[in-house]
Amino acid sequence: MSPQEAGERPILPFDHPMHLAAHRFLVREAHAQDRHDFETWLTMMAPDVVYQAPVTATTGAGSHKAGEMDHFAEDLYSLRMRVARLKSNLAWSENPPSRTRHFIANVCTCATAKPDEVRVWSAILVFRTQGDGSPDVISGMRDDVLRQVGDELFLVRRMVSLDEAVLRTKNLAIFL
Amino acid sequence: MQASPKLARTLSEIRDGWIPAAIYSDPDVFEQERRSLFTRTWQFVAHESELPQNGDYVVRNVLNDSFIVARGDDGVVRAFLNLCRHRGGQVCRTESGNTRRFVCPYHAWSYKTDGTLVGVPYHEEAYGSEAELRKADFGLHAPPRIDLFNGLIFVNLDPAARPLADCLGGFATYLEFYFPAPPRRVELRGPQRWRFKANWKIPAENFSGDAYHTPHTHASTGQIRLVSSAATTNRRAGIIYAIDGGSGATFRLDAGDFAERLRSVGYTDDRIAVLDRSLSPALRSLIEKDGVIPSAGTFFPNFSMLHLWARIDDHGKLAPFTTVRLWQPISATETEILSWFVADADASEEFKENSYKAYLMCFGTSGMFEQDDMDAWVTLTRATQGYLSSSVLLNSRMGLKSDGSALHGPVQTFSGPGVAHLGFNEFNQRRWLRMWADYLEMSPPAPPLPEPHPEVGRPKE
Repeated sequence: MSPQEAGERPILPFDHPMHLAAHRFLVREAHAQDRHDFETWLTMMAPDVVYQAPVTATTGAGSHKAGEMDHFAEDLYSLRMRVARLKSNLAWSENPPSRTRHFIANVCTCATAKPDEVRVWSAILVFRTQGDGSPDVISGMRDDVLRQVGDELFLVRRMVSLDEAVLRTKNLAIFL
Repeated sequence: MQASPKLARTLSEIRDGWIPAAIYSDPDVFEQERRSLFTRTWQFVAHESELPQNGDYVVRNVLNDSFIVARGDDGVVRAFLNLCRHRGGQVCRTESGNTRRFVCPYHAWSYKTDGTLVGVPYHEEAYGSEAELRKADFGLHAPPRIDLFNGLIFVNLDPAARPLADCLGGFATYLEFYFPAPPRRVELRGPQRWRFKANWKIPAENFSGDAYHTPHTHASTGQIRLVSSAATTNRRAGIIYAIDGGSGATFRLDAGDFAERLRSVGYTDDRIAVLDRSLSPALRSLIEKDGVIPSAGTFFPNFSMLHLWARIDDHGKLAPFTTVRLWQPISATETEILSWFVADADASEEFKENSYKAYLMCFGTSGMFEQDDMDAWVTLTRATQGYLSSSVLLNSRMGLKSDGSALHGPVQTFSGPGVAHLGFNEFNQRRWLRMWADYLEMSPPAPPLPEPHPEVGRPKE
């Protein structure tokens, strides 16, 4: 859902300290993902994180049927399990690991009803290649909620709206 | 049409369990499959639970034929080609929804959800009205055959196809584990759809009874304790079975009575009570007496199902789940998977959600089991495309001695119908490939189209 559809408060100015902090969070997260540092990535999750990527379906009413089927619908337990698997050296789908690049753009933020939480929208383009294989590109929009605890931000909720109804990548052994 | 000498040799080798690697990537083989196999086998298109209301529809493909499967105003589920009878435009360009009419975007001929033509713009000026162009004669084309099994909807492009029930035969007993007969009902959630660069036969064969890949391919899932040992390391104690149109594998369960065994894979007492009441004697005995539970299965050629369980939280809570999938070929080297989550309609919301979580962790696009299958299947397809590699004969003779006799005889005490074998072997994959070879030797049936289907009709003389 876009900021306009969400009917949230006004978008924060791009030099607002909270916007800058949220943007820094996304960049730091992308770097961790792209260097396969998933343990650091896990430390950026709130204990009650909900990490979701609904299946995009082309329907009459719009292109989403959110809530009916997901590619991911994770909590901290299942994210930890996925990371543990990747570190097991037995996860053949990521052995050798994919080279990924998470490109983040169109970041905008707004305050929420909770003073310690900020909502962040961003476009992502994930470039993925493995071995000599031809690359896959996954495009989508993230709708995130970040929570500030002390000086740190943590991911509380991520909803990724994918642009493709049929994914053109052999699996989602990577994180979006 | 006779199979070419090259194909005839290929099929003969396949029947001995030697698989020319080319069958997993050769475009000529795919062309033969397209003409001889997909034109006369039952193809899954939808489940009735995807169409709960009148006017609900989904669009599904059988190779390049796009079909609308819709529940009409009269509550009847039908399928028809997504092709306008005027100039061939696609009358439906969404993949699911609810509608009263399908309207061609080109010249706006419009059709009801039962496929009948109801709107022809400027009918009188352009065609001279009903006397000259009878709308009743230009409904959307029906596929030659449509048939159901416990809510599963299949179509067949061959007017002379044997009924679905005949083709399933004794496999229906096993299919009922995943898709029980009324009054039980299941609901499908999905599908997830994704494409991967592998030949469609590889997953179909795998689900038909490949227990041998589990300990290695899925080793990571045991390492992180996603599943209990029965599902991975103890696979050699499972039993595979085959009968008529399908075959599959089972997992060995720990010792215990009927309820204890089901509880050990995450079934709750209310679900166990339902299974206690509803399972057929054969399925019940499979669990109770033989101590196994169905895992993967394939209904020939490309419709597969799977039952498994996983730990869904830090406390080790187990939840069982069922998934069903279609291996939809795109080309010799690319397949689109449609993967659905299947839940008992009358299960509690909590049980369904736990089961759904287990499914997402294990299967589908992000599933920790399925990810590694995909990887193996893609490399296999890629590796078989060389000049030299395509001619290699792959060894699919597990469970046979070099003289062709069986290493171990069938299990004599198995409760289910069909032939059963214990442990690691490739009886089911060889059987699947023999069925495949039989189809490839057949001449393509005369296409029922572009001749209009008789039930739809051409203009009366």
